[in-house]
Amino acid sequence: METVAPPAISARELTRRNTLSEPAMVRWLLTGVALLFLGLFLFLPLLAVFGQALEKGFSAYLAAIKEPDSLAAIRLTLLVAAISVPLNLIFGVAAGWAVTKFRFPGKNLLVTLIDLPFSVSPVVSGLIYVLVFGLQGWLGPWLYNHNIKIIFAVPGIILATIFVTFPFVARELIALMQAQGSDEEEAAMVLGANGFQIFWRVTFPNIRWGIIYGVILCNARAMGEFGAVSVVSGHIRGLTNTIPLHVEILYNEYNFAAAFAVASLLALLALVTLAVKSIVEWKMRSPRPAGRSAQCASS
Amino acid sequence: MRIELENISKRFGDFHALNEINLSIPSGGLTALLGPSGSGKTTLLRVIAGLENPESGRILFDGEDTTASDVRERRVGFVFQHYALFRHMTVFENVSFGLRVRPREERPSKKEILERVNDLLHLLQLENFSDRYPVQLSGGQRQRVALARALAVEPQVMLLDEPFGALDAKIRLELRRWLRRLHDKINLTTVFVTHDQEEALEVADVIVITNEGRIEQVGTPEQVYEAPANPFVMDFLGHVNLFRGRVHSGLAYLEGIELPAPEHHAAEDVPAVGYVRPHDLVLERKATGSGSIRARVERTQVVGSVARVSLTINGNHETIEAELTRDLFLKLALVKGEIVYVRPRNVRVFADDEI
Repeated sequence: METVAPPAISARELTRRNTLSEPAMVRWLLTGVALLFLGLFLFLPLLAVFGQALEKGFSAYLAAIKEPDSLAAIRLTLLVAAISVPLNLIFGVAAGWAVTKFRFPGKNLLVTLIDLPFSVSPVVSGLIYVLVFGLQGWLGPWLYNHNIKIIFAVPGIILATIFVTFPFVARELIALMQAQGSDEEEAAMVLGANGFQIFWRVTFPNIRWGIIYGVILCNARAMGEFGAVSVVSGHIRGLTNTIPLHVEILYNEYNFAAAFAVASLLALLALVTLAVKSIVEWKMRSPRPAGRSAQCASS
Repeated sequence: MRIELENISKRFGDFHALNEINLSIPSGGLTALLGPSGSGKTTLLRVIAGLENPESGRILFDGEDTTASDVRERRVGFVFQHYALFRHMTVFENVSFGLRVRPREERPSKKEILERVNDLLHLLQLENFSDRYPVQLSGGQRQRVALARALAVEPQVMLLDEPFGALDAKIRLELRRWLRRLHDKINLTTVFVTHDQEEALEVADVIVITNEGRIEQVGTPEQVYEAPANPFVMDFLGHVNLFRGRVHSGLAYLEGIELPAPEHHAAEDVPAVGYVRPHDLVLERKATGSGSIRARVERTQVVGSVARVSLTINGNHETIEAELTRDLFLKLALVKGEIVYVRPRNVRVFADDEI
């Protein structure tokens, strides 16, 4: 036996080496192509944004951001995110909970519908709202008579943003909660916990990082959305311009420094999002939960 | 606590998971629900727990109808197949969970909780693991945590779904003996689900054999093993050899031998099958009257203390398996190709219409 075993193992080793590792040339080539691609199409543009923004000096940069229309755009963007992200958070948790913990007719349809905003062009998403709420739309005349403005106003921007950011939290949670199953919830139920306790003490701690993950992606999209918002906004300076729309206006006016200065805010947001995302991904992978003291204190 | 199930039925779509189940589970005993996968045993356990609602029928706990009561009110302890421990809680937090979620007026004080949980951890030999998380425990330890967590709320009934299913063979064996000792110590009405007949035979006081949503037989391990109610039970509880033939007025004629079959005294020449366990086949060098069948040795194999002999009966291609002690096997000195005489004992004869 002993004389037979070693060759058998080394033969296996050999095949593994053959299948898993390529010659050095191929490895370097593949890595090089990937890095070159990333550098050319992602890193360089990012640098260019900051370069252009600071072209006329830091004071010009600050002045461009402090300009009243820019500040209004920043405020509006923050407002839109502050409303649409929590709403999608609530919806996402509810959808994840419903889809993974219950059996009900139409479940597959619900899951498919949640994905709809991902498959539809944002411009179409915006047009949908114009069709429904616009002056020529279904509800337009009624809204007009009651003096409610949705299209070309802030509510329309919020609605369009909610629509395009719809899937972020829900999709993340459905996948996570499906992988976790509902065994722990059943166990908690048998032990006498009520629905509220089951959610806060069993479900929530398990999906906490998934929620944060979904929220930061949702937030990034909510602040950065252009297409859908552009259709419903009306581009009224200082009133219905979000950061991305304001960037476009400035750019079209050949005010490059200001355009890039405002754009750099979005680029910064992207960097922060990436950093938080990496931390959360790392947290989700680590087997032991951190920061559970909050959960203990609630008991 | 005594549990009674009356006419319980449950369907999942077109699939009849439970079909008119009637069952009485004795108080204080250790009852096994044994059956192949898909036989409805887990569904039955979940119905008792209140995790599934039956479509029809009643469940009585000590004579009291609990069919409509919520899982939280039934005071059952449930151990899930994969334990379902709360992964973000320590062992202590897991075990104390059921006490901590009680409404304020019923909740024991912090000190009482600490004492009770520590007692349980001691009982289940988990004292040193109180601050660990489930991922840091072995399979056997996780299972004991799941048990401790279920026991902490002082349940009236303990329900275990395949308690040893996820463990490897050696730990399985140790844990099931340990479970038996634990049960003898705390004497709680316990029902567990298993598909492993050996496990059920070794651990349980009462075995309930399920098949296709029905109960095939209920009895002590001896009863179901020695007097199986039907061929399914016989076949499910270990290996069997089949001898085909006929029965007529209380006598069975199988493979040229004649056997008394008093339970078929009214049968009039109907086809029948005799079921014999491998260890009930006696091998002899010489024929003894009309009770022996001439057979040829095809293969012999000694496994530990027993020897298995494969034989073929004249003109029959089906092989039969005999099992004898190693000593006897060595004394007989059987060689492949030899002719021996097989004398079946404890033959269970079932007429074809019972199969």
